[in-house]
Amino acid sequence: MMAVLDVAMTVVIAVLLLGGGFWMLTSALSMFHARDSLSRVNVLSPATGLGLPMIVVGAFLQHTRTDGFAADMLGKTIITVIALIIVSSVASNVLSRAAYLSGSPVDPRTAPQDLERAPGEGEQTPHSDDR
Amino acid sequence: MSVVLWLTAVLLAATILVGLFRVATAPDPASRAVVGDLVFFSGIGLIVILGLFKESAAAVDAALIASVLGILATVALARILTRGRR
Repeated sequence: MMAVLDVAMTVVIAVLLLGGGFWMLTSALSMFHARDSLSRVNVLSPATGLGLPMIVVGAFLQHTRTDGFAADMLGKTIITVIALIIVSSVASNVLSRAAYLSGSPVDPRTAPQDLERAPGEGEQTPHSDDR
Repeated sequence: MSVVLWLTAVLLAATILVGLFRVATAPDPASRAVVGDLVFFSGIGLIVILGLFKESAAAVDAALIASVLGILATVALARILTRGRR
């Protein structure tokens, strides 16, 4: 029974660690496909919101498997995951605001683009690829 | 398990290399800031994997501090981008 549990835990740890690394690499490669810095802020979130929490949780499970359960380790892991999710969302917001204010070019195909027009200028039609 | 750790370390190292290459080829400073952020978070991941190799619990503390204080690096980059304007 314990052997089966150990194998199952090993598989879960492997999936969490490799999946986390996969999301980080996916996010890095997506930086080449995004057309402007605002989209790059957007494709950063799989890394910080999903990949890194998966790696941290997998590391916690591996520590638990080798050294036994420790409550302080669980608390630290939970704080790390919550902090990563909050930090990634707040940081994306601050960074994209700064990116737009610093005048970095926005993809001209962005539509609707509410930041660039006066209020009451009329409706914008979505870009034809996105409809 | 060692194979899994090595593969994850290779994935994270590839993330850092691809990110640094993207920093070198990025068209505008804002993109560089974003990709630099990704490299920072990959570094946290490598610290966690290193802690698993050494079976050291201190890496968990390092990851905790880095993830809580990581926002300071991002906000600093954002302030640099806007030249101090909020």
